[in-house]
Amino acid sequence: MSEFIRKQICEGVGFSSVVDTRFKKGRIGATLITPLTRKTAAANALLSCVLTRACKAYPDHTALNRKLNELYGAALYPSVYRKGDFQMISFAAAGLDDRYSLNGEAVSSELAELLCSILFDPKLINGCFDETDVEQERRQLIENIDAEYNEKRTYAINRCIENMCRDEPFAIGRNGSREDVAALTQESLYTAWKELIDNSRVELIMLGSADPQNALDRFESFFAKKPRKAGGRTTVVSNVGEVKHIAETDEIVQSKLVMGYRCAAPEDFKGRIANSLMSAMLGGTPTSKLFANVREKQSLCYYCASMADNDKGILLIDSGVETENIEKTEKAVGEQLELLQNGNITDEELTAAKLAVKNSFIASMDSLASLQSFYMGMIIRNEIYSPIQAAAMTDDISKEQIVALAKQIKPDTVFSLVGN
Amino acid sequence: MSFTEIKNERFGEKYYTMKHSSGLRIMVSPKEGFKSTYAVIGTHFGSINSEFIHNGKKVKVPDGTAHYLEHKLFESEEGDAFKLYAKTGASANAYTSFDVTCYLFLCTDKFEESLEILFDLIQSPYFTPETVAKEQGIIGQEIKMYQDNPDWRSMMNLLQAMYSEHPVNKDIAGSVESIAEITPEILYECYNSYYNLNNMVLCVAGDVDPDTVLKIADKKLKKNEPVQTESIIPKEPYEVREKYVEQKLPVAVPMFTLGFKEDAPEEFISTKEALCTNIILEAFAGAGSALYRKLMDEGLINSSFGTEYFEGRGYRAVLFDGETKDPERTAEIIKDAVRELHKTGISKEDFENAKMAAYGKIAYGFDSTYAIASEMISAEFTGRGAFESADIISELTLEDVNERLKSQLDPDNCALSVIKGIDGAAEE
Repeated sequence: MSEFIRKQICEGVGFSSVVDTRFKKGRIGATLITPLTRKTAAANALLSCVLTRACKAYPDHTALNRKLNELYGAALYPSVYRKGDFQMISFAAAGLDDRYSLNGEAVSSELAELLCSILFDPKLINGCFDETDVEQERRQLIENIDAEYNEKRTYAINRCIENMCRDEPFAIGRNGSREDVAALTQESLYTAWKELIDNSRVELIMLGSADPQNALDRFESFFAKKPRKAGGRTTVVSNVGEVKHIAETDEIVQSKLVMGYRCAAPEDFKGRIANSLMSAMLGGTPTSKLFANVREKQSLCYYCASMADNDKGILLIDSGVETENIEKTEKAVGEQLELLQNGNITDEELTAAKLAVKNSFIASMDSLASLQSFYMGMIIRNEIYSPIQAAAMTDDISKEQIVALAKQIKPDTVFSLVGN
Repeated sequence: MSFTEIKNERFGEKYYTMKHSSGLRIMVSPKEGFKSTYAVIGTHFGSINSEFIHNGKKVKVPDGTAHYLEHKLFESEEGDAFKLYAKTGASANAYTSFDVTCYLFLCTDKFEESLEILFDLIQSPYFTPETVAKEQGIIGQEIKMYQDNPDWRSMMNLLQAMYSEHPVNKDIAGSVESIAEITPEILYECYNSYYNLNNMVLCVAGDVDPDTVLKIADKKLKKNEPVQTESIIPKEPYEVREKYVEQKLPVAVPMFTLGFKEDAPEEFISTKEALCTNIILEAFAGAGSALYRKLMDEGLINSSFGTEYFEGRGYRAVLFDGETKDPERTAEIIKDAVRELHKTGISKEDFENAKMAAYGKIAYGFDSTYAIASEMISAEFTGRGAFESADIISELTLEDVNERLKSQLDPDNCALSVIKGIDGAAEE
């Protein structure tokens, strides 16, 4: 089964491995962690695209993608996401496990080499990123930002967060703003790359059956003498004033309602599980209070879900409803939340939510991508447990803990996207 | 009555298959060392089966009935199945497509109990006017959610443009009006016609052994006598109905779906044909292709660009889709490239490159219990052998692929579906 090993390459740079022989795939990832600021967010997001478009060894996207095909349809996954007030710039390469290659190729070493090329050896012309590469990726990133409006559920959630966390770094989108992306230059992008590689916290992780030593050696030779100080905290707001109601209209058939709350942002892992469990009981499973009442009993919607962000200390409840039912749904959601806060919870509900949360912890062990995401969550907070330990900790959470966390939920902003 | 074992030596994978005495096909693929088990039971009944002959009687049901039935089957006289799964911790769901309806769960404990719930669920229909009426609001909102979804609208508009007779041109969930006509009697009629165990398959993959599945099947499944149900699929002409369709929706970036309609007899394509098509699409339009490069360099596509082979009983088409600032120009470039491709065929180099990728993707499928179970379901309903791709891929030749190409991608038989912004402001 999977064995987790961790090594600190130098201050601020860690290498972890999960040795697991059950898969046909191997996976290697690098995550650069940096405070989310308006000044840097757009540059980092565009960098993630430009770096994975081409590198010195494969100087255009066609050559790079043909190389990936040759490596048995390997894939490069650039992703930029927000974790509390931090921007995570993540690169993963996944491809065939060495044991299954047709001619004995060591795909895992090639993938490690490719990832290093992308991060450390980009395609530079006169010390700058190539103009065409930058323009093409800028166009795509802007289209990507624009397209967030195409999917109305995501759009409404983003608008709620932007309004709710208006003066906090969290309101900066994971990709920065459209205007900031448009204003970047080849030079500013190069500076951002140096800054990211030299000064951000770096977490590397390798998963699969291959010996991680080879990848570790490569990363060590690059990072060994480059320590960096990584710090910073996420702003957690617990005092809220009057609830803000914000509405926008649009040419849509179904209205969207997003209710934004402040909640706890527990430091310890057990507290975080308890907060997630609380959210699951409220609206995370088909037996949750919101699903059972707002959907099943009142037939108001198809979905009414609750999501707690343990890093930021916010909880969002979202639903798609008839315009004339917006207020009715808001009220129905408020009633279910109040029941939870008043400790109106049956043992059955608590057990069901625990089983569901445990099921997802254990099931995460059967996929390399889920294992990576589980362990990255652990590594970032320097508190390592296995999924099995996480499941056991879930069992220990009491009803009182759940109620205490529910009581910390305070309404902040209600956003609705109103159809006609 | 026992299982037949089918092995793939190269990847060290296997599955067991049998026709159970109840009539149900059972397929089980144990995954050593896995912690979870994925189980899915499916019937060959989807939105396209809206007209059929059952016991000599011709029946026509409202659009969206298969999907409505899926929702309602979750409820029995004792309450809804979600409550029962809540006791085992399994995460359960169901889905309806154009041609199948599936009920599934993923568990890491109490597999036997969860499988019993699944078997009970599909064997105990309970529809009353009240329970049927209650679902109108929920499904009504599901339908409206899709009406606002530009990807889905682009796809459905394309199917309406391509197909004049085939019911694949109707939305899977129907419309708010069509589902208002659904009654308990209609649901029972469909249930009796298509939820016969002889028309169904159970596929399980993960931390499971076949004997456990058999034990629960013996305990729970009632023997079904085969029924006579014949789906009526109207004959579809070869030509697309319309070449262009457009809808305005609140989007910031326009989208397109371009479909190349093919001749589609009632039988399904073979595993070899499916593999050839995968390779053609990778070589022709994958991220390493000349076409992809041209579209990218002209600023016409972004990473949302993709291809798909869309296939079922009586319909076959190659689809291209994505966001683009200029749908018409994008479609023209693709069509020109298709004309060129028919002249030159896929090159040896492109074939080898795409074949390597295809080999890897077959291997990766074995890492996912969901992918394994889905392949087994599809195998049962299409007659393609499960795990067959893994055996065939290495024997595939350039000639096979270019032969397959001849019956695909007719540039004179395609339709373009476009979603544009309401005020046109995002267009350049």
